[in-house]
Amino acid sequence: MKRKFEHPAPSERELTGPRYWRSLDELSQTEGFKAQVAREFPEGSSSMEGVDRRQFFKLMAASFALGGVGLAAGCRRPEEHILPYGKSVEYIIPGLPLYFASAMPLRKGAIPILAETHEGRPTKIEGNPTYKPYGGATNAIVQASVLELYDPNRSTVSTIKGAAVTSADVQDLLARIGADALAGKGAGLAFLAGQSSSPTRAALVSKLKKKFPGAVWAEYEPTQDEPPVTAAQAAFGRSVKPVYQFAKAKRILSVDADFFHSESGSLQFARDFAKGRRVTKPTDPMNRLYAVESTFTLVGSMADHRLRLASSHMLAFVAAMAERIVGGGDYAALAAGLEVDAKWLDACAADLVASAGKGESLVVVGSHQPSVVHEIAYRINVALGAVGNTIDFVAIPEDKAADIGMLAKTIEGGAVKTLVVLGGNPAYNLPGNFDFAALVKRVPEVVRYGYYVDETSQLAGAHIVAAHYLESWGDARTADGTIVPVQPMILPLFDGITELEVLARILGEGSTDPHTLVYDTITALAGGDAQKSFNQFLHDGLLAGSAYEKVEVSPRAASSHTPASLVKLSKDNLEVRFTFDSKVDDGRFANNGWLQECPDPITKIAWDNAILVSPRLGKELGISPKGWVDQVSRIETADFKQGREMAHVGEVTVNGRTVKAPLHIQPGLANYTIILPLGYGRTAAGHVGNDVGQNYYPLLTSNDPGFVTGARIVVTSERHQLANTQEHWSMEGRDIVREANLDEYRKDPGFVSSFGVEAEAPPVYSNLTAEEFSNLPPEKRAQITAARSTQSDRGGSLFKTPTFDGVHQWGMSIDLNTCIGCNACVIACQAENNIPIVGKLQVLIGREMHWIRLDRYYSDGRMSGDAYGGDINKEIPEDPQVSLQPVACQQCEMAPCEIVCPVNATVHDEEGLNTMAYNRCIGTRYCANNCPYKVRRFNFFDWNKHATDQIYLGPLGSQSRMPELVKMVKNPDVTVRMRGVMEKCTYCVQRIQQAKIQQKVKAGASDHVEVPDGTIKTACQQVCPVEAIVFGNIKDENSAVSQAKARQQDYSLLGYLNIRPRTTYLGKLRNPNPAMPDYADLPLSRKEYNSKNHPDLEPKKEHGEALLSNAKLFGGLS
Amino acid sequence: MSKLFPKSVNKLPLQILVYLFLVGGLATAGITYYATPSYANVGYAPVQPVPFSHALHAGQLGLDCRYCHSNVEKSGFSNVPTSQTCMNCHNQIKTDSPLLAPVRESYASGDPVPWVKIHIAPDYVYFNHSVHIARGVSCVYCHGKINEMDVVHQDKSLTMSFCLECHRAPQKFIRDPKLVTNLDWKDPEGEKHRIEQGEKFVHDWNVKPPQSCSGCHR
Repeated sequence: MKRKFEHPAPSERELTGPRYWRSLDELSQTEGFKAQVAREFPEGSSSMEGVDRRQFFKLMAASFALGGVGLAAGCRRPEEHILPYGKSVEYIIPGLPLYFASAMPLRKGAIPILAETHEGRPTKIEGNPTYKPYGGATNAIVQASVLELYDPNRSTVSTIKGAAVTSADVQDLLARIGADALAGKGAGLAFLAGQSSSPTRAALVSKLKKKFPGAVWAEYEPTQDEPPVTAAQAAFGRSVKPVYQFAKAKRILSVDADFFHSESGSLQFARDFAKGRRVTKPTDPMNRLYAVESTFTLVGSMADHRLRLASSHMLAFVAAMAERIVGGGDYAALAAGLEVDAKWLDACAADLVASAGKGESLVVVGSHQPSVVHEIAYRINVALGAVGNTIDFVAIPEDKAADIGMLAKTIEGGAVKTLVVLGGNPAYNLPGNFDFAALVKRVPEVVRYGYYVDETSQLAGAHIVAAHYLESWGDARTADGTIVPVQPMILPLFDGITELEVLARILGEGSTDPHTLVYDTITALAGGDAQKSFNQFLHDGLLAGSAYEKVEVSPRAASSHTPASLVKLSKDNLEVRFTFDSKVDDGRFANNGWLQECPDPITKIAWDNAILVSPRLGKELGISPKGWVDQVSRIETADFKQGREMAHVGEVTVNGRTVKAPLHIQPGLANYTIILPLGYGRTAAGHVGNDVGQNYYPLLTSNDPGFVTGARIVVTSERHQLANTQEHWSMEGRDIVREANLDEYRKDPGFVSSFGVEAEAPPVYSNLTAEEFSNLPPEKRAQITAARSTQSDRGGSLFKTPTFDGVHQWGMSIDLNTCIGCNACVIACQAENNIPIVGKLQVLIGREMHWIRLDRYYSDGRMSGDAYGGDINKEIPEDPQVSLQPVACQQCEMAPCEIVCPVNATVHDEEGLNTMAYNRCIGTRYCANNCPYKVRRFNFFDWNKHATDQIYLGPLGSQSRMPELVKMVKNPDVTVRMRGVMEKCTYCVQRIQQAKIQQKVKAGASDHVEVPDGTIKTACQQVCPVEAIVFGNIKDENSAVSQAKARQQDYSLLGYLNIRPRTTYLGKLRNPNPAMPDYADLPLSRKEYNSKNHPDLEPKKEHGEALLSNAKLFGGLS
Repeated sequence: MSKLFPKSVNKLPLQILVYLFLVGGLATAGITYYATPSYANVGYAPVQPVPFSHALHAGQLGLDCRYCHSNVEKSGFSNVPTSQTCMNCHNQIKTDSPLLAPVRESYASGDPVPWVKIHIAPDYVYFNHSVHIARGVSCVYCHGKINEMDVVHQDKSLTMSFCLECHRAPQKFIRDPKLVTNLDWKDPEGEKHRIEQGEKFVHDWNVKPPQSCSGCHR
């Protein structure tokens, strides 16, 4: 008999007992929501919009007629050509990719890369593993940068006064600027550039200053990703910057810092943090993270203790910590008025001090915080013995550039005759107290060097085409100072030139060739045989030993601080925190569709930058979703309409300027801090980036770019649709992400087996229950798992199972304990697998195409109404815990999708892959219906043929916006899918097959056909900065993946369905401090799980009460 | 009954016959057009920009395939030689031949000679030459006796069933990898011995040609 599994039926208590929210829409229980629950794809995603039946038939008749014409015209194959090179090209073997070491420059911290090129065409970026601190990891922005190279909206021709000019004219223009400036020793000449770490540019700039002493060299970046040097000056009297060593830190206090993303060198920090976080056996140590923040960052989501506090109160907070850890000084005065539970501060300080003796504590402050906060934090770190252990200080070259304020003053004085704007985009991203358009009018000649004809270029008299970094010769430094090369992968597609050429030409250098310039710089630094060392530099992708020098620092006597009284925040005096976006950065990547469509890791909103407001503020503003009352009176004020978030639009006024934008209620924010992500609202970014989101730069002032107080919000009657990809944000007490506290794990390493149906099910395999299996020694588990991978007998099922007789059996393990949810895997997968973008409208309908998604769940432990005096929890949590889980196709051994496919388009292969034959697929979408993980994606349109605003026009739509240029980014090893075809994660089957083929070629006439472990890395695995993903052969019990799966935290998602997913997860651990007032003896999602599944075991009230009291303690603050 | 069935019904049997005949004819024509090897282009022998003769170079002169198709052992794609490869010899032999003018021009300018592609696998098929060569599948099984062709034509259907024929019974087609480019090779000890050897190779080298979708479709 076919075994039939029922999902656990709802208990009576569930049906009649207290209910809990899981999304804003469900809370209001609208009809629309109920309808959506019953559907597979969201409504609209599987129906045509605005077309009725009659119209449909008319259209179809017309298209059949057209089809007939097409048939008569003949369907024979067209003549194809093979075009070999005229002259053989060194190293190039057609069909095989080449890899070159290079780097992506970004402000002061370049990221070393290996660029994959196919016949001279870069298609994919990987991290350069030779650079140890990053270990071959990259982030979403680096992954997406290759798309920018082929952006059809990039500027293609240089212009002077609006007329196109040749590159020779550009050279003449630059030479003339230099010659003219020489007479007045540079007076009247000004430069405005972005930050750069390039040693060659630094050399050119210093030459420039020597040759043109009267010229102004200004640098401007709208966002800060390095701590202010003034802080180090104040604390140590030296120009140094900190390099954190998270791997050595056991106790970490993060003060408003997003060190996973918005600090220069964050890749290293994330990687090192994961090293301290990873626990492979019960005796392993695990770090503990305290996060204090106003916004909700990924750091906050990983925190063991998280405190919501306004950014403007961070000074008082660090002072309060300094008072406890350093002592003396005027810290107590500075901390006055801080409304944080003293117990929290005491216990946190005590914990930091306890680890201080071993030098294992660390305090990190966000770069946007003012200098004084950093200075105090440095002193705390000194007191904790962190310096030299968990934090190194390196000497950095002094920054002698003028700032934007000084440049503006010079221009207003009328002293600037020629302004050269190198990169950046000041017309868009200058703070609101500057009017760049007005400034530019006072300068007779403005030359803009830029990659796009953007807001700034539109104001400039001359525009010079910039080369992409993948087209340029250059050099740069990583965050720790290591010099890395920037090599061209392809000749400039549109005659772009590099910044180095612009400067060299204005300087009148003998050679303006950037290769020569870089060669001279590097060989001078490297010494030895010039050509040899330069070649080595290019080969390694870095100059060994060129990192900034580590220096000893000793604290100066603390100078007294003037205590500023804390600003009392309220609904009428809000704090505005400007964050730089996790995707488009400061707006420079706004025209990158991959990044725009990637959902924000926390809010899950794509294609927008809504203002984030806390649940409490939302309530006070009257924009919280309405619950019972409205439903009873039948007034449906759904804030989600069929999965589309209908956000209220509000007007924020601060510094006398107002911006209108949608409001999104985000749990976990400081109560009266609103978050404004920068980088959107571009008007001249290109087809993708124009008019996406709002521009918040006008609200900024140059004095304090991180945050500002004194804001007000007025809610308007307008609504705005937000493309939110995860409306559903609770696990509903289910066992999706399985979590435990570290102490529980130490007592019961196999805690994951106590969850769900499996825990109570009879043995499915052999004679072992899940619990018995988890208690076996790891070697035994690895053996059993390896043996099972080839058995076709699946739990006694009568269903015919595929045979697993391949040489390998592929499997994956994802460590939820180290995953920080950074989205790098999402974009890496998109780049590797030719995944299209679909545009905001289609994301709203639920048609996004990402093969891997990051699920983000909130839990506040308040499943049970009992804990709240019987009242029903219909509140959005103010202080939730976050559980993150990447989900791609789980490659089930007994895949439910396969049995329903009518055309055998999705079938198993002999190595355990659930394969997709696109050319067989007829698009019934039965497979997606039957997939319990919802990981299959359907091509509702020809995304690859038409721009996102043209898809509804079908064959009538213009294809001009998808020119050949866009096709160049495609990976030639992966099929580009057409309309009507289902697709999904394949474990990067192209990489598997290539590795197998290479191994077989090597084997030749022998049987060494097994691919060595570690040869194949899936795209998501390769990019992952925290090494959470392990992939390999599970038939080999010694492979890394088998070792990972043999760990006792290993579990299958929805394992009780007996579909045997090949991807399994390692349970998440939290490491809270029992001395803390907000200590929870179980992760909050566990509490929800227990109260749903084991209500009788739940201790009466106490946790809820503790939580409630915590909520009172912290909730009323800020 | 004439009330129920009008007179025109009398013609119905004939009409049905004619209709069936037409439909049958169309179906036959369609199948012939789309599903027979003519769709798979067997015999396709387009005119090339340079009338290069494999019979002369590979047959009479005995050049090894890999002299020109030099990357066939390394890459999935068996390269057509660059004009530079041609010029290795033809800067000394037949230096003035008008037939070779496109090659000389290409070598001088760097622009490619537009050879017409004969063996075309659909874009969703990822055939890999190197692995077949390394594991002892001779060129001849897919390309025919190129060394006897003055004008190269497509010799085999190259359909999926053609591929599977070998992937399901590799022992019939596998030989010592050293002999793969010898298109005339016949086992001196006879056909039966060749297959026995094939069976031995399949066993000894752990040859498991993929028969699932992922082997060729990605």
